[in-house]
Amino acid sequence: MPDNIYLPELARITYIKEEVAGERSIKTFRVEPVNGDSFEHECGQCAMLSIFGRGEMMISIASSPLVKDYKQFSIMRVGRVSAAFHDLAVGDVVGIRGPYGNSFPVDDWRGKNLYFIGGGCGLAPIWPVITTAVAQRDSFKNITVFYGGRSPRDIMYKAELEKLRGVADVHLSVDKAEDGWDAYCGFVPANVMDKEPSSDNAIAITCGPPIMIKYVIQNLRSLGFADEQIYTTLENKMKCGLGKCGRCNVGKDYVCVKGPVYSWAELKELPEEY
Amino acid sequence: MEKILHKERIDDWISALTGWEVLSPALEDGIWAYRPVSGAVRLDHPNTTQPPKGLAFPQREVFFSFEQIKGEAPRLTQILPDTVQRAVFGVRPCDGRGAVRMDRVFGDHVEDTYYQARRKNVAYVGLACNQPPSANCFCLSVGGSPVSTDGLDVLLTDLGDRYFVAAVTETGKALMTAANSLFDEPADADRQQLKSVHTEALAQPQRAVHNPDAVPAKLKASFKSPLWEELARACIGCGICTFLCPTCHCFDINDEVTGSAPLKGNRVRTWDNCQFPDFTMHTSGHNPRPTVGARLRQRVCHKFQYFPENFGMPQCTGCGRCISECPVGIDIVSVVNKVVEHAG
Amino acid sequence: MINVRDIRDAARDLLAKGEVRAVIGYRRGSRGMAAEPVVITAPEQADELVWDPTCFHNLALYLVEDRKFLAHSRKAPGAPIAIIAKGCDARAIVVLMQEHYFKREEVYIIGVSCEGVGVLDERKLAGHVPGTPTDAAFEGDDFVFTTPEGEKRLPAREVMADRCLECRAPFPKEHNVVFGEDKTGRELAAPFAALARFEEQGATERWDFWRRQFERCIRCFACRSVCPMCYCDECVVDSITFPVAPETTADEKANRIRWIERSAVRSENITYHMTRAMHLAGRCIDCGECERVCPVNIPLRLLNNKMEREARERFGYEPGASIGAASLVASFNDSDPGSFIR
Repeated sequence: MPDNIYLPELARITYIKEEVAGERSIKTFRVEPVNGDSFEHECGQCAMLSIFGRGEMMISIASSPLVKDYKQFSIMRVGRVSAAFHDLAVGDVVGIRGPYGNSFPVDDWRGKNLYFIGGGCGLAPIWPVITTAVAQRDSFKNITVFYGGRSPRDIMYKAELEKLRGVADVHLSVDKAEDGWDAYCGFVPANVMDKEPSSDNAIAITCGPPIMIKYVIQNLRSLGFADEQIYTTLENKMKCGLGKCGRCNVGKDYVCVKGPVYSWAELKELPEEY
Repeated sequence: MEKILHKERIDDWISALTGWEVLSPALEDGIWAYRPVSGAVRLDHPNTTQPPKGLAFPQREVFFSFEQIKGEAPRLTQILPDTVQRAVFGVRPCDGRGAVRMDRVFGDHVEDTYYQARRKNVAYVGLACNQPPSANCFCLSVGGSPVSTDGLDVLLTDLGDRYFVAAVTETGKALMTAANSLFDEPADADRQQLKSVHTEALAQPQRAVHNPDAVPAKLKASFKSPLWEELARACIGCGICTFLCPTCHCFDINDEVTGSAPLKGNRVRTWDNCQFPDFTMHTSGHNPRPTVGARLRQRVCHKFQYFPENFGMPQCTGCGRCISECPVGIDIVSVVNKVVEHAG
Repeated sequence: MINVRDIRDAARDLLAKGEVRAVIGYRRGSRGMAAEPVVITAPEQADELVWDPTCFHNLALYLVEDRKFLAHSRKAPGAPIAIIAKGCDARAIVVLMQEHYFKREEVYIIGVSCEGVGVLDERKLAGHVPGTPTDAAFEGDDFVFTTPEGEKRLPAREVMADRCLECRAPFPKEHNVVFGEDKTGRELAAPFAALARFEEQGATERWDFWRRQFERCIRCFACRSVCPMCYCDECVVDSITFPVAPETTADEKANRIRWIERSAVRSENITYHMTRAMHLAGRCIDCGECERVCPVNIPLRLLNNKMEREARERFGYEPGASIGAASLVASFNDSDPGSFIR
């Protein structure tokens, strides 16, 4: 930890890509430290991003820990700081501090079948696990990615998902049928049921809108997945990232420290207040 | 180190504390507050409206300032707390125990840069409560006592015309040693009197949480109880209970802009409050604690369930401020008792 | 002299007959002698109701809460809601009706006259009675306290709230049923007496006074939270509590101006309190709750009284006098003084 836990490092934006257009658009940013080196992170951890004069926001790190040159964030334009982020250009300097929270126990999953189930911008928090697993392809058995958006225009990481084909099974979906879409039409949990993934030697990792997560977990349970085989991530309003500002707790756990990654076995023990 | 100090010498003791800014309770504008000592000190206060927690955790503090010329990288200047040593006289044992809890929050896991910098320069000279200073005291129900030394550096006990002065920490010893000649060695009679005063203090009637050991489990079992909304029915959602609490530590961080070209401002920490509706509201508008009942439950469960689960002690020290000052009579002792009773 | 049994009977009867869906009143609290607000919905709960000098609270606040709850849950109100209202509380209800917050027929006002007295100011009580009283009762022009050392009788005037001493209308003119005599016209203290005393000081002293007061504010917002007139969903002091809904756009959230920073420093505190005082001009009915609840003892009544007196002297306006009257800031007369425009 740095001497001053609240003082961000400066980081320069080196890449911006608009993933999804529209009112709640999503942009991907890559940042590199201004002063040479930065912190290392693990899959699933978050960082506090700053725009000075606007404030801070907690965003999950979307790049794999294996990538050392930059950190990637995919950010939906939804509030005060994220809207300001969307106005930035390559070369602009922002603040970053972290990493915060726990991580996916990826090392424990070696030799297993991995199912990733994402919806909307919920692909970003599990993306580091996907890319890490793909980079260490031989360490894992089958890798399957379910991902859906409201419409074809709401699919993020389009090119990257296409590139996964061949090393992973990719099952895309959109909520409503539309001309030119030849993959699955319907909600993500239904797409999962349609493909009937086997729980045998498997781990399922899901992230997306709360309602999607709820039904994904329900469906995985009915497919025979045990509580310990299902992982998800929580989000809550956060200010410090260090378990001190007191607002992101679910029961006794501060999500910024004990989370954001939970197995369903752990999560169902917490009070339903998220 | 245990000594006797005649009451008329307390001002001399304070004067002898060179290098320390000394604060003591003063009645100003109708409220008791810790103020820098000016003139004679008489420790005859009930309890202060606010605990002394602001000395280590002020309601507002600047983390750093920023400045950015358009098109250039921002420049950050960290602003660390002053290094003035402050000794607070007349701290009640409940507030000393409040400091213990704040120390855990800001010291465990990762040390809070700003809290630690301030805290190491604060010393608490406590005053035992021979009589409960408030009708809503309940320190005995939360593992405390009117003569507890937890979190204090020195404990004074009023023996009539003199104080029994006991050092609790090395800092406390140093405070006493700074004025060695003012103190007398305690005689057997002094120790006898101390013992009886403390025994009497412990026997004073207080408000009580029934069966405190059972509380965390009962609260856990009552998370979904409809009682929470009922108990919070009168709650007006103000911040009195937590802003006056010796252990509430929640805060917000915001950027305060002071100039636009170049951009200038400060990143500022301010106290925040779990009773305010926007405390947990997501940017999307989703709020995990959307009702007064959910927010009362958070305050009570944090103090009596979550904190014990995380730190092995209740977060409440029984000072009674939140009860005495609540505009509409929401009473944490009664709330806990009712929920526990309801849980069966 | 009001017998609390009459109030209980009225409440029980209304609930039993289904004429109201709830009664907002006072019951004995769990800490000391102070009453606390309660909402009862069953006839048998009527016995919990109390009426004594610690019924300080302006319960009109809970009519606002009730309305917000109904709006949020999209429920039809159904039967009216009953409320126990003192003179000042009833004036607050009238202002809310003037502002069309709810309709007259949606509220059943159980009026209680303060008769010759008013409510207790707990801060004034220190030193007057031994120990901590466990009960307080009206008895003519006296308050009677139950203390560990027995009953203690005090002339109410010695420990009554200033707002009650200065009250010009201690009787709820607007009511469905009322208990107690109308003693309007009793003069316990001159109206605006505390304000007049304060204004004897020069401008410099007054400014120094307010600077010190506002320095102390901890921005717990109890003054705002307890005020039935502070019902805005969107308050100027909050940067984010404005009603955020799924349809609120990122631009609306991003472009929200922070008029007042969260820092409890004098400049921000003054802006907050001044904004609130202006917003209460011609609306504040001097229930004095903001001042009572302030944990750091800021004399907020002085500010609101000042606005109230301006409204009265310049525009002949009495807030809460009549449901049909236009509100002060939403109306004008040709005869209104224009001298404030300079």
